[in-house]
Amino acid sequence: MPELPQNAPYMVAAYVVTAVILVGYAVSLWVRSR
Amino acid sequence: MTPLPSAGRVIRAGRLLTILGLLGMALVYVLALQFTPVEARQGMAQKIFYVHAPAAWGALIAFILVGVASILYLWLHDPRLDLFAEASAEVGLAFSAVMLTTGPIWGKPVWGTWWTWDARLTLTLFLFLLFLGYLTLRAAVREPVERARFSAVLGIMALVLVPFIHLSVYLFRTLHPQPILLKPSRPSLPPEMLRTLLTSMGVYTLLYLGFVTLRYGIGLRRAVALREADDA
Amino acid sequence: MPEAVRSALAIAGKDLRLEFRTRTALLSAFVFAVLTLLVFNFSRDQSLISTADLAPSALWITVAFGAVVAMNRAFIIEREQGAFDALLLAPVPRGAIYWGKFLANLAFVGLVEALTLPLFVLFFNVPLGRALPGLLATLVLATIGFVAVGTILSAMVVRTRFAELMLPVLILPFMVPPLIGAVQVTARLLGGRPLTEVLGWLRLLVTYDVVFVTLCTLAFTAVVDE
Repeated sequence: MPELPQNAPYMVAAYVVTAVILVGYAVSLWVRSR
Repeated sequence: MTPLPSAGRVIRAGRLLTILGLLGMALVYVLALQFTPVEARQGMAQKIFYVHAPAAWGALIAFILVGVASILYLWLHDPRLDLFAEASAEVGLAFSAVMLTTGPIWGKPVWGTWWTWDARLTLTLFLFLLFLGYLTLRAAVREPVERARFSAVLGIMALVLVPFIHLSVYLFRTLHPQPILLKPSRPSLPPEMLRTLLTSMGVYTLLYLGFVTLRYGIGLRRAVALREADDA
Repeated sequence: MPEAVRSALAIAGKDLRLEFRTRTALLSAFVFAVLTLLVFNFSRDQSLISTADLAPSALWITVAFGAVVAMNRAFIIEREQGAFDALLLAPVPRGAIYWGKFLANLAFVGLVEALTLPLFVLFFNVPLGRALPGLLATLVLATIGFVAVGTILSAMVVRTRFAELMLPVLILPFMVPPLIGAVQVTARLLGGRPLTEVLGWLRLLVTYDVVFVTLCTLAFTAVVDE
């Protein structure tokens, strides 16, 4: 069976970036709604 | 004048939905990372799919709703429609930002390049630019009614533009056979992967609703304050 | 001649005369076009990239940006003259105003293109020959697309603070489908391919034009009326 590509860092990067954008936007909305 | 609903209640509802959405995202993360099998050919990077694809749908929904709200506004002249369009555009910008960042991060390990001019990525780039243009126009026009009218026209033009972008990319690709890229396939997903994808799509929808409600509330409060200042 | 058409032509005529009295706009657009062509030519490695490969892109970048510069100048001049508000007070159907401006912009941009095309042929040693009719048709179709959208967008941004920056930002996504079509057709025609091969793209251009000219004519009322 061919070897599994070792590209976990990309996955981590993408998940982190997504969280940063979505949580960041949520926080910005929260602050603006005060 | 059209009565504007209570901003406070809308904001509270928006906050609740957003929190639920974010909790949902946490659930999706755990689900995708721990409880979903790894794809044999692409490895761990394939899991980016679960945060990337639903963002695309979110951006598209946001975009279509901006267009629909624009059409309705020009017909009914209800300022609430304009406020909603503004909210949807901002949320759409956030979702397309997710798509535009995760797309290349996914592309590099799997296809070897950061960017391909395939239909989906190209379209999202355009959605991003159109959202940006829409919000920039709104920032540049001071008078609220004029701003609403101009934004509505731009929103409708943008909606009409999208089929043409799709057509041009499609024509370009069919007449220019591209090298066969290892496209992440979605004809038949194993059940666990499908489950994770659907959950993620549900959560993103919830998050869209939360964001848009909260943003709408913010715009509403500002509009009410302006109107009260005018009446005073 | 129906009243609306007469009004449209009158507006177009007035706009064009405004332009020629202030020849700077035409000159700046033309200079910009020449500059772009020059840079394209001097920026490439002659042994690596042939003129044939570069020519279509060079032409259309020049035309596209030249068109934006031209439309920008046109509306700014009008704003400075304060003529636009006066025009709105007159009992002219809004669609006619749009067509007047549209036609004026079309003529203006067309003139810039007419001056640029010979230079393009000269600098890039383009073998025009049989390709000329198709090329001219493409120029007309793409320009109609650019100007249809540019006219209404200009009307929206003319009174904003950063008008000169706003128009390019807003118009860019809209220029892409006709631009892609135009470059594709130009590349094929200059490569000696027959017109029949590019019918798909030409159809796209025509459809785009019909759809957007109609849409913008109808939407113009929302832009200028209270």
